[in-house]
Amino acid sequence: MKKKILTFILALTLIVSSALTLSSCGSKNEETLNLYTWAGMFPDEVIAGFEEKYSIDVNYVNFDYNETMLSKLEAADGGDYDLIIADDYIIEAAIAEGLVQKIDRSKIPSITNVNPVYQGQFFDPTDEYTVPYGAGVQTIVYDPAKVSVDIKGYSDLWDPSLEDSVGIISNYRVINGMALKINGKSYNTLSEDEIIAAGEKLKSLAPNIRLIKDDNIQDDLLSGEVSAAVMYTSQVTLAKMTDPSLEIVFPDEGIGFGIMGMFIPSKAPNSDAAHKFIEYILTPEIAADCYEYLGYYCTNSAAEEFISEEYRSFLTLPKEFTSENMEMIGNISAEADTAHLNVWTEFRALCD
Amino acid sequence: MKNGIRKRKAALSTLASLPLYLFTLVFVLGPLILMIALSFSTRDGWDYTSVFTLENYAEVFSGMYLKTFAESLELALISTILVVLIGYPFGLAAAMLPKKMSRFIYTMQVIPYWVNSLLRLYGWIIIFRANGLLDKLLMAVGLTSEPLKLLYTYPAVVVGMVYVLLPFMFTSVYQVAEKLDPTLIEASRDLGAGKIKAFLTVTLPLTRPGLATGIVLTFIPSMGLFFIASILGGNKVVLVGSLIEELLMKSHNKPGAAALASVLMLLTAAVCALLLRKPKHER
Repeated sequence: MKKKILTFILALTLIVSSALTLSSCGSKNEETLNLYTWAGMFPDEVIAGFEEKYSIDVNYVNFDYNETMLSKLEAADGGDYDLIIADDYIIEAAIAEGLVQKIDRSKIPSITNVNPVYQGQFFDPTDEYTVPYGAGVQTIVYDPAKVSVDIKGYSDLWDPSLEDSVGIISNYRVINGMALKINGKSYNTLSEDEIIAAGEKLKSLAPNIRLIKDDNIQDDLLSGEVSAAVMYTSQVTLAKMTDPSLEIVFPDEGIGFGIMGMFIPSKAPNSDAAHKFIEYILTPEIAADCYEYLGYYCTNSAAEEFISEEYRSFLTLPKEFTSENMEMIGNISAEADTAHLNVWTEFRALCD
Repeated sequence: MKNGIRKRKAALSTLASLPLYLFTLVFVLGPLILMIALSFSTRDGWDYTSVFTLENYAEVFSGMYLKTFAESLELALISTILVVLIGYPFGLAAAMLPKKMSRFIYTMQVIPYWVNSLLRLYGWIIIFRANGLLDKLLMAVGLTSEPLKLLYTYPAVVVGMVYVLLPFMFTSVYQVAEKLDPTLIEASRDLGAGKIKAFLTVTLPLTRPGLATGIVLTFIPSMGLFFIASILGGNKVVLVGSLIEELLMKSHNKPGAAALASVLMLLTAAVCALLLRKPKHER
């Protein structure tokens, strides 16, 4: 019996003492910023720098999918989190549900640093609710040692010399979008006839397709399994960092892109800290560190000059690209989406 | 008195199996009913409303989806036939060996399957990829002079399917063949049957249950194993499974995915019933 009591006391002491040490090293500051986004969005130094500068602790909470984020935010009725970073299309849904508060621009003087190309887009046409943090830009990547055509745009992927050597991701809006762009149409067309016509064009690309894959397709480009590829921005960055001799093409026909945006939920417990964080992240030098770490396109014009030479070719847009020749891939009607999926399925079956 | 005990026993065993019934009801039958109900619901943007419609099924039976079913069925049948041709003789031969040797082969066959099948498929990528093991071997032997495109082809998918499904056939056949009385075969030979006739009239009928189980265990999963087509086939073989995934995850079309899944389930059940039909004289 004595032994049992002793063990109990010992255990209790351990629990209490560890709880004390935990709490003492956990919050040195009184304020906390609840940041909710994917894992790995900021370098550790940037977060630490913010905590030190403003004496605010950052509580970094992760989600895997945009959809998970939205359902959590719905459950919290716009509370719990101070700042969220997610993809454009889901932000549109969150704003429509009234879960997002307007940003107080007077608290964020550096907001003028944002590249205008990434502003006024479909999910927040008046820029009242969001500040962009990184963009995915649809490019073509190829290995010049293995490709004999001079790839300038999407239509060059149709070249017969590329037979059975092109790799693509399985995002049908992006891939069908290549044919839409060649036909001079919008990524977001609702006309089923235009989508079907693009599908006909796409079918003739089938003999050149060697691989359709979403995960780690850059490995297949690096190993020589494919010699040209259309892939996600983060994959292009990884490929280019492994093999700098790869060429990146901004297609002639026009560029599709997506934006990750920062927003403050409607009932954020500490929206003041969120404004401070946005201002901090918009500082050019800090933003440059973030984009080099993140591997997505820099949405901060003032930060571009601080991005080192080796990253600049694939983290910043060439000067000639403006909102004129760029188009976001946005939400479309169920009917148009079904037409896309049908076109895509038919195309995929032809690739074999 | 005795009757009372028996009754109590019956009550106890009912009570003991209650969790199983509940589990089946809640986690098997429940979702199934939900899926079928969903397949008759109307799509509403990314969501659905409970308005009855046959449109999802009309879509399933449109030309393109039917082609996908045909493609899935074709791959499943090719894989099952190859698995039978390789797995049946293998299981039979392994069971006929001396006890120790036989157990050894059985164990060696099973051990690799302790590793997750996804990981083992990545092994095939190492073998098939450009300048991979197979390429190097072929070039060293002098059969080819430059790397072949082996990965992301239909044959690569078939190899993967057969590889993943083979142990189901092997194990089923082995376990039945192990219990086969060899004296029965000897008796048939003594009575004048040739090797082939002895096999057809004695061995085959007696190992049929194992073969049948093996076929079911191979065919059912092969209708749904789309991840092999995506990993080794580069997503170019469109199977029903991957179409369901795309409808659900990319197109946000839940009723459409449910309708496709329901038809796939019915089709698989029908083919299994057909394969498992007992020959006339056994009925």
